[in-house]
Amino acid sequence: MATAYDPAMRQDESEQGDRVFVVAVEDVHKTFGAFKVLDGVSLSVRRGETLAVLGRSGTGKSVLLRLIVGLETPDSGSVRILGQEFNGLSLDRIGDIRKKMGFLFQHAALYDSLTVGQNVAFPLLHHRGDLSESERNERVNQLLIEVGLENSLDKMPSDISGGMQKRAGLARALALEPEILLLDEPTAGLDPISSREIDDLVLKLQREHQMASIVVTHDLYSAKTIANRLALLDKGKVLIEGNFEDLQQSDIAFVKEFLKLP
Amino acid sequence: MDDIGSKSLPLVALAGGAIGAVLSMEVRSSMARFGATSLLPSAVVYSLVQEMGPIITGLVVSGRVGAGIGAELASMKVTEQIDAMEVSAVNPYRLLASTRIAACILMLPLLTLAADASGLFTGWLAQTLTEPISLRQFIDAGFRGATLTEFLPPTFKTAVFGLIIGLVACYQGMRTRGGAAGVGRAATNSVVLASLFVILADVVLVKLILVVFP
Repeated sequence: MATAYDPAMRQDESEQGDRVFVVAVEDVHKTFGAFKVLDGVSLSVRRGETLAVLGRSGTGKSVLLRLIVGLETPDSGSVRILGQEFNGLSLDRIGDIRKKMGFLFQHAALYDSLTVGQNVAFPLLHHRGDLSESERNERVNQLLIEVGLENSLDKMPSDISGGMQKRAGLARALALEPEILLLDEPTAGLDPISSREIDDLVLKLQREHQMASIVVTHDLYSAKTIANRLALLDKGKVLIEGNFEDLQQSDIAFVKEFLKLP
Repeated sequence: MDDIGSKSLPLVALAGGAIGAVLSMEVRSSMARFGATSLLPSAVVYSLVQEMGPIITGLVVSGRVGAGIGAELASMKVTEQIDAMEVSAVNPYRLLASTRIAACILMLPLLTLAADASGLFTGWLAQTLTEPISLRQFIDAGFRGATLTEFLPPTFKTAVFGLIIGLVACYQGMRTRGGAAGVGRAATNSVVLASLFVILADVVLVKLILVVFP
């Protein structure tokens, strides 16, 4: 049964150790100018688990992902990835941690001067010097088959649809076989069929790769389909955390209103 | 290097050529007043190689390459491609900025030589239309008594222009925020600031060269 967010309870859980949680966000605050985006957010994800972070636009969901991957630094609080805190680490060490994370950007962020295949090969080229060219090509082909883009190897990102771009972004995020997968609005801007295809793909990948995932979305159906746990963010705070049924049974007015929306 | 060097070559050569022809025509009328038209080749060569060629190349490349690098990196920034690179544990400054800056540093002196050569040719052309003289005679007269220290430092000072153009454009591009408007701002700022810094650096470098190679 879900409860309204309780920082004390979260602290206790966190102290079980980072062997349990691969991502542990503790009391994180983040402000841009006068705008407080995150106001004491604490979340954690275990290995093999998928957490969906829900909330209205501008509630700091994407900022939270950027903090987790180290693209932003928190004003206060801590972000621990695989037991390591980003703050104070050298760039090389941060790089080592990032190699264990895959990130799918909201608009895929494919390199527009490279083909789809080159995009997927990019992390391999830079971090898997042990692979020969043929092994690398084989790995790229395998990833593209996995996301259903085997016929788009030589296409430019501008020549494929938004859904295909997301799939290519997902293939690139998986290239280094990450332990943690971060998905920023994976179904945003897609038609319902493409959205479901992406959901199915994420589920399939989770089953096959046993990664911990954090999915930022405001697509309730998608969150319900792919996540084990959901956290609803409002005004920079985690309002409630639990499974979909827990959220449905909540008495919090905002939760009820959020779940009523189509 | 191809984008910064060979693709800038036609524009740089054209600018150098225009400056060479104008110099030849303008200097000729001044020299004629003092009956010193025989010094025209030297005047054209020295003006062109020591100052006009380098500064024109610097300004042309600031415009063409500065805007290109600024807009390209800004576009990558606003579409999160640079963030994607960072997330992939690849240093975008090393991969995107250092390569472009190095290409600018290497290409500027070569482009300056092209601007100089083009300017010398059109300078000779303008001269020979009024008072026929062979290209070889023009060049011999122009470089008579010249030493390498008079011509090499002004040519190689453009490597500093390249450094400035690359640094300014990369900085403007990679710190961009704000969508298409941000990309436009980055391109404009790259050109304006790179041109300004090239002109200011030229003043300092000319003085430095005069001190080091008196």
